[in-house]
Amino acid sequence: MKQNEITQSFDVIIIGGGATGAGIARDCSRRGIKTLLLERLDISTGATGRNHGLLHSGARYAVTDKESAEECIKENMILRKIASHCVEETDGLFLSLPEDDLSYQSKFVEACNQAGIRAEIIDPKEALRLEPSANRNIIGAVRVPDGAVDPFRLTASNVMDAKLHGATILTYQEVIKIIREQNRVIGVKVLDHKTNEIKSYYAPVVVNAGGIWGHNIAKLVDININMLPSKGALLIFGHRVNNIVLNRCRKPADADILVPGDTICLIGTTSSKVPFEEIDHMRVTPEEVDVLLREGEKMAPILAQTRILRAYAGVRPLVASDNDPSGRSVSRGIVLLDHATRDGLEGFITITGGKLMTYRLMAEWTTDLICKKLNLSAICTTATEKLPGSRESIEEISKKIISVPLTQRNSTIYRHGDMADRFSENTPLDNSLICECEEVSVGEAKYALNELDVNNLIDLRRRTRIGMGTCQGELCACRAAGLMSDMKKICTNRAKADLTSFLNERWKGMFPIAWGDTLRECEYTAWIYEGVCGLTSSSKK
Amino acid sequence: MKFDTIIIGGGLSGLISGIYLSQRGLQCVIISSGQSALHFSSGSFDLLNNLPDGTNVQKPLDAISELIKQAPTHPYAKLGENKFKALTQQAEDFFKNIKISIQGNHEENHYRVTPMGTLKPTWLTLKNLLISENGKCLPIQHPGIFNVTGFLDFYSQFITDEFLKMGTKCSIHSINLPALENLRKNPTEMRSVNIARIFDKQENIKELVQILKAESKDCDSIILPAITGLNREDVVDYLRKEINKPIYLLPTLPPSVPGIHTQQKLRSVFQQNGGVYMLGDTVLRAEMKGNRISQIYSFNHGNIPFVGQNFILATGSYFSQGLIANTERVYEPIFDLDVTFTPNRTQWYNSDVFESQPYQSFGVKTDNTFRCMREGKIFENLYATGAILEGFNPLKEGCGAGVSILSAMYIAEQILSK
Repeated sequence: MKQNEITQSFDVIIIGGGATGAGIARDCSRRGIKTLLLERLDISTGATGRNHGLLHSGARYAVTDKESAEECIKENMILRKIASHCVEETDGLFLSLPEDDLSYQSKFVEACNQAGIRAEIIDPKEALRLEPSANRNIIGAVRVPDGAVDPFRLTASNVMDAKLHGATILTYQEVIKIIREQNRVIGVKVLDHKTNEIKSYYAPVVVNAGGIWGHNIAKLVDININMLPSKGALLIFGHRVNNIVLNRCRKPADADILVPGDTICLIGTTSSKVPFEEIDHMRVTPEEVDVLLREGEKMAPILAQTRILRAYAGVRPLVASDNDPSGRSVSRGIVLLDHATRDGLEGFITITGGKLMTYRLMAEWTTDLICKKLNLSAICTTATEKLPGSRESIEEISKKIISVPLTQRNSTIYRHGDMADRFSENTPLDNSLICECEEVSVGEAKYALNELDVNNLIDLRRRTRIGMGTCQGELCACRAAGLMSDMKKICTNRAKADLTSFLNERWKGMFPIAWGDTLRECEYTAWIYEGVCGLTSSSKK
Repeated sequence: MKFDTIIIGGGLSGLISGIYLSQRGLQCVIISSGQSALHFSSGSFDLLNNLPDGTNVQKPLDAISELIKQAPTHPYAKLGENKFKALTQQAEDFFKNIKISIQGNHEENHYRVTPMGTLKPTWLTLKNLLISENGKCLPIQHPGIFNVTGFLDFYSQFITDEFLKMGTKCSIHSINLPALENLRKNPTEMRSVNIARIFDKQENIKELVQILKAESKDCDSIILPAITGLNREDVVDYLRKEINKPIYLLPTLPPSVPGIHTQQKLRSVFQQNGGVYMLGDTVLRAEMKGNRISQIYSFNHGNIPFVGQNFILATGSYFSQGLIANTERVYEPIFDLDVTFTPNRTQWYNSDVFESQPYQSFGVKTDNTFRCMREGKIFENLYATGAILEGFNPLKEGCGAGVSILSAMYIAEQILSK
């Protein structure tokens, strides 16, 4: 490890590249604050990239947590405007099955109305007409303004806007030390995983936006935040069986949300406490898979015959209130801690709790506090100013890239909104497809490699959907690796090592559900990469 | 429909047993549901690269007794040492006899070049593909690598970097013809087989000669991705003659042009010997009399049975659905044969994708003559061959093609000796 003392000064340093960190970077930079965001891996690698992608209406929380419900519906309406290219306005149905208590429905609708959420009881027949994949035996249905949101795109757009406003975003930089001067935080020391160098950055305010990992970041300055890692497992199906979000109309429980997104749909989640030692190594167990399937099939019976693509799990950063060390009274609400008042440590803020839906509000609160500390009076604009990608209508963008083949045009606009014309040189070479499942072209991959902070194949997957489709990276992984080395983004040794880790990352999500067609696909992948191509895990070296 | 032998599965093992039997006068039918593993072949056939414990194997014949000790249900163990030796020689003669030109022999493994540019040991390699005799260096010093512009399934840079480690210095070139422009207009068309169709045409081959001649002045040889020779075999010989330099092919990502050509060749040899090849049909169920299979029914033929003396099951493993896994078990769908597998699903996999995966060694149980069984009772006239067999790991041991070829020939001998 090289000790390389590069020092740079900023107004604020944000630790964590999830939706919250990216949102804070956007808010700060728009308010004229000199901002640095540090992420130890890639953006969206924590809980941000490991959830349902549900644009909550708040209905789920209406009965149990009115405050969260109100926050949700407000942010829901804001995201539809500022992040239209990341959002699908699908609506949601809360279904009552014969085994559910129908009297819960009226309580549910009343709570929704009180929280400001439009909730409309509809005839089960009407519900089935709207969503034919729903269980034919439902006895009740309520329509709410749920939707789907792509967290990868949302975070990437926030990062893009932050950069446009002068923020510095550095990925693969792990904070290993928080530098303090008496009772004041003045900067951080990071390990650059790309060069193995140690660097120092200075700023009068440091924000801990590390999600569940924020627990360990606070520990660097001996501050204890009473966090409770809560694992949630989900399954991705290979088809989009539903077009409307399906929920169970009962007290929130396991596997009662089915969300459509892109070409797929997702069932989740489970909820179980896990120890901190495991948060970097989430594995989905056969029991979790069984619960998700059993419950999912109750809402949409067709899931029993639908191929599962992948199983994965995220960790929610739940926080117990400070006066409750037992951790029984956890909230899903937003937790903003000013460590100057809480712990007597100036210049250090922790933002945690909350959820993807409220990332923008969390960023606003945090940035307000940062401004207070920096004696600035700039106001927040993130609720009204649209994100890059959402600034033009689909019709306008379509016109600009009209000569790109239709299906490809639709996919790229779906994924990149008004940024789609950035990568359309529209030559036959750029239009040729790397990934057939998800219609990712050479041009799109090149754009991501050049402009979206992509360091490896897994990063590229998060920006484009390469390898996210039915085949889970059969041939596209190799093609993308080839492209990366051709573009001199990485040397061929790195490209191959990258391919190895990409395949292992895919496998991690596949083996918990590897039977039927998924196992066929796994066997084929093994034949191609291990058999024909001769890749081994020692290709890393 | 009556046949002497009914073969289910039209891949390597099905075709080899079919050719072997029909050459000796038996009336055979092959019922094939579609593509086989040959469609994504490397262009080489492996015999034995590693023992089950991971020991590297240089000379397969010398390692076979140790293999039998380590893996008693391995298909090679069922053949036994002497039969294994005899069959490897027979297999090489078999390919020569049906005019499939190959490099390599059973005495010692040679090395094929992977699409990544690395070397991997193997037994037999189709002609025109580049090989290394010793696994340390290549027979060429300054080759020019020519890829088709925009062809994403061949990686000149990977190959160049790997070859440099072996002292071979490549130069990278690209090929572009007007005929290729048409392919490029459709974003999904630049794949090996489509390109190969272009290079089946004489006028395009002539243009290729001009490009190669003009650009290979400083090269001692020429390397092309395996995108020629889909429907004709003379292209590389013709290029060699015209350009007067050694010309080699390297495998691409699938589909595999050399593999598909081999499949087509085997199929036509089978048909020339009187075999009936039914493509696009799936066998659904069987009827038994005592410990014999009497007839089988297929999707396309409805209630018209296939009646035969002997049956060969060459349906492959999971990919081709010779074996099917659900959450509880691994089963064989046509006859519901006894299958060797671990009951606990969590033990089917290793969490590192490149480690040995137990599911890959599951397969149908057989006796030492590859006859199948159900509930422990042997069927006298049902044999299994190839990837569906139990007791071996084709990837870790590097023995998939060898098991297919040798077990197919062995079964054919058994049937003939009845």
